[in-house]
Amino acid sequence: MIRFERASVTYSGGVSALRDLELEIQDGEFVVVVGLSGAGKSTLVRAINGLVSLTAGRLMVNDRDVGSLSAAGLRALRAEIGMIFQGFNLVNRTTVLNNVLMGRLHQVPTWRTLVGAYPHDDVEIAMQALERVEIVEKAFVRASNLSGGQRQRVGIARALAQQPRVILADEPVASLDPPTSHVVMRYLQQINRELGITTIVNLHFLDLATAYADRIIGLRAGELVYDGTAADADASVFESIYGRSLTADDTMAKQAAL
Amino acid sequence: MTVPAALVRPRRPPRSAFALIACAAAAALTLLAMWDWKYGIGFSFRSLVTEITRKNAVIEGLLHPNWGQALRPRTRQAFIETLYIAVLGTTGGAVVALPLALWSTRFGAPITWFRVVVRALTNVIRAVPDILWALLFVALVGIKALPGILALFFFSIAVITKLTADTLDGIDMGPLEAADAAGARHHQMLRLAVVPQILPTYVSFVLYAFEVNVRSSVVLGLVGAGGIGERLDFFSANLRWDAVWGIVVLFFAVVFVIERFSTWLRRRLV
Repeated sequence: MIRFERASVTYSGGVSALRDLELEIQDGEFVVVVGLSGAGKSTLVRAINGLVSLTAGRLMVNDRDVGSLSAAGLRALRAEIGMIFQGFNLVNRTTVLNNVLMGRLHQVPTWRTLVGAYPHDDVEIAMQALERVEIVEKAFVRASNLSGGQRQRVGIARALAQQPRVILADEPVASLDPPTSHVVMRYLQQINRELGITTIVNLHFLDLATAYADRIIGLRAGELVYDGTAADADASVFESIYGRSLTADDTMAKQAAL
Repeated sequence: MTVPAALVRPRRPPRSAFALIACAAAAALTLLAMWDWKYGIGFSFRSLVTEITRKNAVIEGLLHPNWGQALRPRTRQAFIETLYIAVLGTTGGAVVALPLALWSTRFGAPITWFRVVVRALTNVIRAVPDILWALLFVALVGIKALPGILALFFFSIAVITKLTADTLDGIDMGPLEAADAAGARHHQMLRLAVVPQILPTYVSFVLYAFEVNVRSSVVLGLVGAGGIGERLDFFSANLRWDAVWGIVVLFFAVVFVIERFSTWLRRRLV
């Protein structure tokens, strides 16, 4: 379970990215966070694995207080949380398999990483993760030789290889075209349903959010302005989240038609 | 018709005076260095014209190089010793230089005092010229190959660390964030997220250091640190310039082979 208690993040320079957030996410939920860019979506997910620290309040993740963890405690927490990035964050100059093995580092001794001798079991877990996103045939191909959609599937496999309890995805489809975006979202949904991994996804397209989310969280200027089911989130709800009337830019289908 | 504000082309922002001032300063410095004044070095181009046409043993030797010298057993033995010294010095230096380069960056050594110590150490190593390393180790461990290997070891650390650290400034930080988010320990992150990004450049710097080290062997031989330099010193002292140029052909061959190998390796790695 993830629980934000009056959580705030103020960046140096005075920008307030999260304000007094009260939020509870149960195990196994598929949550989509929507909001304009700068609304605090990225800060919210990065707080969960401690990439961003709260400046006030408390954040409990899997019964741990994120703010009070030691370096080793933080690594142990991050081992349980897979992360997927907008820009994929793959190492382009190495193989797909090596990229996915990054998800096993928390289990692998440092000397084994330094000489590149990964235990057989960890390689097997990485291969299974690649099979789940149906890209195992590329295991020994350089990441730089993949298309955008393939790279993001490798990104998902890397997160899966951690055998995580939570997956965070920060704008996972913002660099992809609409058909590829749906492929990636379907993999995330499937992983959530079949493996029961809590999944939190940042999106800025409303149609994608309503199509895949069980629960939608709306952020506006760092404050929670909506928390409800995807079915209840109609145009007026989104207008309140965006603080303006909706345009074609806000849905992927319409934007693609432009 | 009034043009909407959004369509007005912006005016080019005024150029920074920095580039202009830097160029002027460089030109002024050059002129100052040439000037014949109180603190000048009193050089002139005149001797280039008057002296160069003079009959000259060095040029004579260059025109009639002793090709056979490159094949003499003693020369061959000395040149092989030079290559061994260069291989051992460069390999050792390269192994130490990679972590030193990583630890001299902000992301490689987040602990400030550690980074400062590493940087100070590499700066000190770099400040010492190769001939001083050679003199130092000749004094410490005697003549022949060992002082040469030690001198080139430190010289390689200096060259490779500096060049690699500069390359590290331009890497993609995304994979580093991904490794941190996956719960990787610090050196696992460096190994898997950073090293693959700089590997081709690092390898070509190592080969460049090897090339420089082969040439440095001339200097090493002068002070008794082994290799072909002793032969070159012997022949030039006896004004056997034909033999000197014959040996230089060997250097040409080695530099050429390294260059081809480096190009091939980089193509495989990139």
